[in-house]
Amino acid sequence: MISHRDNNTQRIAALDERAEALRLKRGMGIADARAMHPSIDVVEADPEADRRLLEGLADWCDRYTPLVAIDGEDGLFLDVTGCTHLFGGERAMQDEILTRFFQQGFDVRAGLASTPGAAWAAARFHGNRIVAGGEEEALLAPLPLSALRIAPETRALLESVGLRTAGAVMAAPRAPLARRFGATLLLRLDQALGRLDEAVSPRLPVAPLSVERHLAEPVMLTDDIERLISRLAVALKTDLERRGEGARTLALFLFRVDGAVSRIAVGTSRPMREPRLIQRLFHERLTALEQNIDAGFGFDLVRLSVLSAATFDLVQGDLTGEADDDDADIALFADRVRARLGEAAVLKPVVVESHLPERAVKSVPFAEAPQRRAPAAGRTVPRTAPPMTIYPPERPVRLFRSPEPIEVPATEIPEGPPMNFRWRRALYRVARAEGPERIAAEWWRQLPGEEEAPTRDYYRIEDSEGRRYWLYRQGLYSSAPQAAPPRWYMHGVFA
Amino acid sequence: MLPEVNVMAMNAVARDTIFALRRQIAKIEGTLPERLQAPVPGAPAGISNITSETTIIRRGLAVASPDAFLHTGIERLDTALGGGLPGAALSEIHGLETRDAGAVAGFALSLVSLILKEKQGLPILWVGTAEIFHEAGLPYARGLHALFGIEPEQLLFSEAPKLLDALWIAEEAARMTAFAAVILEIRGSPRLLDLTATRRLHARAQNAGRPLLLLRQAGEADPTAAPVRLIVSAAPAANRETVAGPLAGSIGRPAFKVDIGKSRTALPGQFTLEWNPNEHAFAERAENPVAVVPASQRGADPAPASGAVLAFPALGSPAPISPTIGDQPSRQQHPAHRSPRRAG
Repeated sequence: MISHRDNNTQRIAALDERAEALRLKRGMGIADARAMHPSIDVVEADPEADRRLLEGLADWCDRYTPLVAIDGEDGLFLDVTGCTHLFGGERAMQDEILTRFFQQGFDVRAGLASTPGAAWAAARFHGNRIVAGGEEEALLAPLPLSALRIAPETRALLESVGLRTAGAVMAAPRAPLARRFGATLLLRLDQALGRLDEAVSPRLPVAPLSVERHLAEPVMLTDDIERLISRLAVALKTDLERRGEGARTLALFLFRVDGAVSRIAVGTSRPMREPRLIQRLFHERLTALEQNIDAGFGFDLVRLSVLSAATFDLVQGDLTGEADDDDADIALFADRVRARLGEAAVLKPVVVESHLPERAVKSVPFAEAPQRRAPAAGRTVPRTAPPMTIYPPERPVRLFRSPEPIEVPATEIPEGPPMNFRWRRALYRVARAEGPERIAAEWWRQLPGEEEAPTRDYYRIEDSEGRRYWLYRQGLYSSAPQAAPPRWYMHGVFA
Repeated sequence: MLPEVNVMAMNAVARDTIFALRRQIAKIEGTLPERLQAPVPGAPAGISNITSETTIIRRGLAVASPDAFLHTGIERLDTALGGGLPGAALSEIHGLETRDAGAVAGFALSLVSLILKEKQGLPILWVGTAEIFHEAGLPYARGLHALFGIEPEQLLFSEAPKLLDALWIAEEAARMTAFAAVILEIRGSPRLLDLTATRRLHARAQNAGRPLLLLRQAGEADPTAAPVRLIVSAAPAANRETVAGPLAGSIGRPAFKVDIGKSRTALPGQFTLEWNPNEHAFAERAENPVAVVPASQRGADPAPASGAVLAFPALGSPAPISPTIGDQPSRQQHPAHRSPRRAG
C-alpha cells in the first residue's frame, strides 16, 4: 500500500489487490486503514520514482512507434498510425504490448481508438478494447463523466445538474453547455468523438531516419552489437544518399529484453554516411561506455537513428583513389576521440580580440570551431609573420588555467619587479626582469555598479637558472595605511 | 681449380648469410641506414644482394631517404645525432623538473616549427594529461604564433583525463599522416608508459612517417623504444640586440640547454641552442655568454660589487661574469643512460 500526504493527512494513494480485498479504498486515511487492519504495509509515495518508471516504459514503447507521449501520472499515448501492420494488425499489436507488459510485471489496460480521447476512455473504462472508427459515440455514451477527461470541478457541476453520463452531455444543447461549463468540456467531447483533431505531443523528437532490427535471439556481446551497427548503417546509407544528406548526430537505441532502453549518441564534426566510419565512432563510444552498459539478458531490438542531418557535399576523388583529405581525417579523428572521451576532448584555440591574456584565446571543442581554411592546392601559403611592431608584446607559450598566487617578500622599488619569489613552495631568485606591461581590466565588460578590477603589471622574469616566467602584480602599492599590499601571481611560462 | 671455386662459393654463401642476418637485425632495430654496410662492389653475389638490400631499406621501418631526418640546422648537433633527429619516429624530450616545462615545450615547438617549414599548413596535435596541463599550463596560442609561427587554427590540443586515454589519443593520432607532428606530454614516470607502450607509439610513427615527440616532465630516464632522448633545460637568454649593441638586463631570444641522453649513433653531448623566432631557426651559442646577475645590479642602489670595479666598460662588452649555482651542471645523470649503445 502506498500513502501520500494530502491536506496534512496521510491517505492511501494506491493499493494492491490484497489490500483491495480487505475493503480498503484509495483516498482513505492511513490511520483509519491501520485501525481496521493493523498489519498493513505502508510505503510513502515517491512521485519522482513513478515518473522515472513511466519514462522508462515510454522509452520501451518506442519500439512500437516513435510517437510516444506521457499522459498524466499513469498513462502513455502511443500513436500507432501506420505501425500496426508491422506487428500483425491492431489486435495482435495490442495483445503483444499487453503480454510483454504483463511479463515485465505490470498490470496494464490498453485501448485503441481513432482518437486519443476515445482510446483514453476505452483503456480506463473497458480494458483492452479496440474501437473502430465511428464507434466512439457508442463507446462513450454509457460511460461516466470522468471518461471525458474534464476537471473534477466541471464534473461536479455537471453532476449537480443531473448530467451523469457522457451520453447525457452529448444529448444536451451545446450553446448552454459552453456558456455554463466553459469551452473545455465541448473541446474534450469533440476531440473524443473525432470532430476536432487532437495532437499527441511525442516525448522525444522523431528522428528523421531510423533503421532497426528485431532479434529473435538477444545479443549481449559488444562485438555483436558493433556488427549490427555496421549492418544498420549500410541500410541507413541508402536512405541518406537518397536525401543527399549526411548524419551529424547519430543515436543507437538498445532495447533490453526486460524493458530497459539504453540510448547512445555520437556526434560528428561533418556530415557522415559511410557505414565503416559510423561503426568506428560507435566502437569508441561503446568502448568508453563498456562499464556503464548493462546487457542483462541481452538486447532484442537494436535501432540506429539519425537525430540530425546536414547536406552532404560530394567531392570528386581522383582516379587513383588516394587523394587524401587531411581535414576529413582529422575530423574523423576528433569525432572518435570525442565519442570516447567526451565533448571537450579535442580543443582548438580561437583567437579573441581582448587585452586580457586569459580571454585572448578561447578553447572551443573541435566540432564547434570554425573550419580551417584549406590551403589552395599547388600554392604554398606563406606563413604569416607575427605582427611587427617595434616592441611586439611577448606572450608565453604556456598559460596557467588560473593565475597562481606567489609570495613576493620584497621588491627593490615599490612598482618594480620582485627580487625573489616563492612559487609552489620553491624559492626563485630573479636574475633579470623586463617590464612592466600594464594591462588594465576591460571597462566595457564591467557591469554597472561593479568595482573596477585592479590593473595588472606584467613582468617577464628570468630566474637564476635561466627559466623564464610571466608574473604580474595585481593592483598598485598605496600609501594609505589600511590598504592591503598588492598581490603577485604567476600566469605563464616562456620558452 | 675446383677446390678454389668451392671455397669462393662457400665464402659467398657465408657472406649472404651474414648480410641476411645483418638486415634482419637492422630491420628489428630500425637502424639508421648509413650503418648498414653496403656490399663491397665487385664481390661475388653482388647483384642479388644489392637489390634485396635496397628493398629492405625501402621497406625498412626507418625510411632511408635523407629527408627522413629532421635537421636541427645546427651542424654539430646533427652530426652528433647521425644526421638529425629521426623524422619518422618517437623522440623523447625530457625535462628534469616540471618547472622546466616551458623550456621543454619551447624546444619541442621549435622542432615542430622546423617541421612546419617543410609541411606548411598541416595541423599539429598536442596531447597531454590533465595533470600536466594543470601543473605546467595549457598551450597558449598567441605565444605559439609569435614565437614559432604556429597559427592558432593549426593547433589542436587534447586534454586527456587519464594517462591511458592520452596514450590512446596519441596512438590514434600517430598513425595518421594528416598531422605534421604529434606531441604527447606526460609527467613523471608512470608504469603504463613502458617499453611496450612506447614501442607501439614508435611503430605507428614510423609507419605514418611522422614524428611523435614525447615530452616527459620530471621523468626518470626509463627504458623506452624511442631511438633518441634529449634532455632539455632552460638556458639564460642572451640580451636583446639593439642598434647600439646588446641591451643590458634585457631578456632576448629563448635559449635551451640540450643534452643528448640517448642516441644510437651519438655520444652524449651538451649544446646550448638559441631559437630565432623571426627566421624560425636554431643558432648555437657558446656556453652562457651572459652573466647571470641578480636583479639588483640594475637597480638604483646596487650592492657594492666584489673584486675590482672597472670604470666605464666599453659599450657592448659583456658584463663581468660572476659564477653562480646556475652555471654548474645541476643534474646527476645515471651513467647507464649516457651509454650510446643502449637500445630501448
